[in-house]
Amino acid sequence: MEKSLINGKISKGWLIFGGMVLLALVLLPLAVKNAYMLHLFIMAYIGIVLGMTFSMLFSAGLITLGAGAFYAIGAYGSTLLSTRLGLSFWAALPLSTLITGIVALAIGSIIVRHPGMAFTIITLLLAHVVIQATGQIEFFGGWGGIIGVETPDPIGPIQFKTKISFYYLILFLLLLTALVFHALYTSRIGRVWRAIKLSPPLAETLGINLYRYRLLAFTIASSAAGMVGSFYAHYFQMITPEAFGGWLSIYIQLYAVLGGLEFYILGPAVGAVIMTFVPEYLRIAKEVEPIITGVFLLVVILFFSGGILGTLRRFWTAKKTAVFSDKEQS
Amino acid sequence: MTTALFIQLVVNGLVKGSTFILIVLGMDIILRGTKILNFAHGQFYMLGAYTLFMLCRLWHVNFLLSLILSGLALVLVGALSYLSVFGVIQRRFTPTTPFTYRLLMSAMASVGLMLILQQGTLIAFGTTERGMPSIFPQIITFGDVRLSLEKLLIILFSMFICFALYLLMYKTKLGLAMRTVSFDPEIASLQGVNSFWMFMICFALGSALAGIAGGIIAPVFAVTPTMGTHIIFTAFLVLLVGGIGSYKGAILGGVLVGLALSFGFHFFGGISELFVFVLVIVILIFKPGGILGEVLD
Amino acid sequence: MALLEIRNLKKYFSGLAAVNDVGFSVNNGEIAGLIGPNGAGKTTLFNLISGFHPPDQGEVIFAGEEITALRADQVARKGIGRTFQASTLFMQATVFSNVFSAFYRQYRQPGWKAFLHTPKVNREEQVIKKAAMDILEFMGLAALGDELATNLPHGHQRALGICIALATEPRLLLLDEPLTGMNPSETMEIVRKIRQIQEKGITILLVEHNMRAVMDLCDRITVLNYGRKIAEGTPEEIRKNREVTEAYLGREEA
Repeated sequence: MEKSLINGKISKGWLIFGGMVLLALVLLPLAVKNAYMLHLFIMAYIGIVLGMTFSMLFSAGLITLGAGAFYAIGAYGSTLLSTRLGLSFWAALPLSTLITGIVALAIGSIIVRHPGMAFTIITLLLAHVVIQATGQIEFFGGWGGIIGVETPDPIGPIQFKTKISFYYLILFLLLLTALVFHALYTSRIGRVWRAIKLSPPLAETLGINLYRYRLLAFTIASSAAGMVGSFYAHYFQMITPEAFGGWLSIYIQLYAVLGGLEFYILGPAVGAVIMTFVPEYLRIAKEVEPIITGVFLLVVILFFSGGILGTLRRFWTAKKTAVFSDKEQS
Repeated sequence: MTTALFIQLVVNGLVKGSTFILIVLGMDIILRGTKILNFAHGQFYMLGAYTLFMLCRLWHVNFLLSLILSGLALVLVGALSYLSVFGVIQRRFTPTTPFTYRLLMSAMASVGLMLILQQGTLIAFGTTERGMPSIFPQIITFGDVRLSLEKLLIILFSMFICFALYLLMYKTKLGLAMRTVSFDPEIASLQGVNSFWMFMICFALGSALAGIAGGIIAPVFAVTPTMGTHIIFTAFLVLLVGGIGSYKGAILGGVLVGLALSFGFHFFGGISELFVFVLVIVILIFKPGGILGEVLD
Repeated sequence: MALLEIRNLKKYFSGLAAVNDVGFSVNNGEIAGLIGPNGAGKTTLFNLISGFHPPDQGEVIFAGEEITALRADQVARKGIGRTFQASTLFMQATVFSNVFSAFYRQYRQPGWKAFLHTPKVNREEQVIKKAAMDILEFMGLAALGDELATNLPHGHQRALGICIALATEPRLLLLDEPLTGMNPSETMEIVRKIRQIQEKGITILLVEHNMRAVMDLCDRITVLNYGRKIAEGTPEEIRKNREVTEAYLGREEA
């Protein structure tokens, strides 16, 4: 039985460890008061979700460079719903997630038919088109973007005036997404995706409709991206096209690769956290940062193709006699 | 619209198209030969432009010689890239490695390369645009049509390169070896062709084409560190329009997109680019293989 | 009763006819053989039947129903299973995973319930896990359940391919050169298994180069050469057929 978090049976030790990490994250705002630090965590959490969308498509054998597109669609959708239609965040969030999902379904139904490389190129162009469209069309605010997006209305005693409430909100969304994705990966849907990734012709002989399952992955993943897009808009309170373009879609891939491609949930988590915090601590000039990232990326691909978690696991299973069953190669 | 304007727009479109054609032919050669999706290809184009700028403008080397040297420089860059990065990655693949992994590993490595080259150039040369005085400033007139000689030469030179490529690929032993290797590496090795070197040659040749495209465009348009990133999107668009791996498609697609952009920009301004993109995506719905319908997985 | 009927099948690749006006039938419950020199069009024929390539002309009729234009996954769902010539497996997964994942048509619980991991779904998965183990035992791979498919020796990989095809509970099983690269004892084993598969009620269409096995196993044999059918009949008839012998000798085939 495949598990997506860690391949193999999750022993009690790991569960306890995971529980402690979770507890630490929940209690974090009590210890960390620095607004900037909290901001970094929030951005890291968004990054994790976006990385997970990449991984979901990867798990079905598709490489996407367009996560930024649906992140943007969710953000802009939510912004327009709240600024033009006056909807509260709590309505805009699910609604814009749904809208992103529908758009993803429509676009996906066309592009998922194309073979692997063409699909990847099209998603790259898609992200580009979305950025250009939001920048050039006045309705979407043009290059200056849209400002004055409202923060979420208070629910009960929880006000959204400080970063702390946003922290908990995004953490909740992240855990929700992780749970949903995990449930999918461990079900036969996840097994079908894996079959499609490992050998599409063989999967077909089993009666699997490749198109349908790929479209499913595409729609679900893109909806998740739209969801955090909505969060981002109301957190940052303004959106510009640049926030979704640039190197974003590329960094998202990097989170997954760095963490470990075979770890559909923990991989992006590790990758996003590292990529968000390490540059801060290294105090690298903004100019040089992409070069370091590029070198880093090359090093990972050339020497640690399993990513951090993959390499760690190889160490682990080399030391112990194989306790885990269902090992997967990275 | 006057005839003069029409011809101007056509010429501009063909100049743009020529750039796309060379870049995309380079992509096609690499894709067919090595199945690598190289996101740093745009940076190779940029490096070609900068090399030409340095040679011709800073060191006052003869233009034609500079162009040749730029091409050779990119052959070197391409070969080095393959030797140090892509070749290493490809060697790890076994016949059972799923296509998804192959694509991802090469593509991600190319992204790393892209970041390094892009920022490296930015740091080395700064953000200022570099310009050059025209090499061929003459204007040709007939009737009330005025065309810059430079632009016509670009078009002619590109056609020449296309023809030279055709000769290479279809009339020489090397070309045959390259095509065999892309079709079936096993058959190729049975005939004594070493896949690794063939892959490297394909990669180097494809990269050189991008460099040459940058070189010939440098005197006419501005040379900036971000020119690679700007052009790669349209290049991919042309690649899709023409069909991935289709040489004829690259030429046809390059011309069509170049003309579409030229006319579109004149009438609608910046937003025309967006229209062209959307239009192409719509076309792809009905013809997934691109205009000529050839699909290479 | 003909379970599979092929009529006037034609397939062109780049102007050349890989399959040229081929027709034959496979009766319910029998083991039918498809032989011919290399390049005769046997694998192409398999691809046409199983939906991986659309034929240019002709019909494929399965259990009375025309399946010519169906996609590969649709054909599979009609009850036709197949193996591949090159080892096509889920290489990066374990042997058990390979077979367990191969069960797809059998699930009765809908996908969304699978997502929710309801008790019924879990029970169903247990049942299927047992069925997967049964198949592995049948083919003699039960002890290798935790091995990665890519690490298996060639013979075991072929056997795993058959396991995967069996998991789809086919009515008709297309075996594409199951004995390639096997030593004599492995060959004997697989031949035995093929007979046992027939005894389970599964009709088999077998492509093979190993003539002894073909003569041994098959109830009827069709011979192709250069994309055309040149003979059809019992093993006895085929053995005596001069055209067949010439076809093989002419191609310098063993």
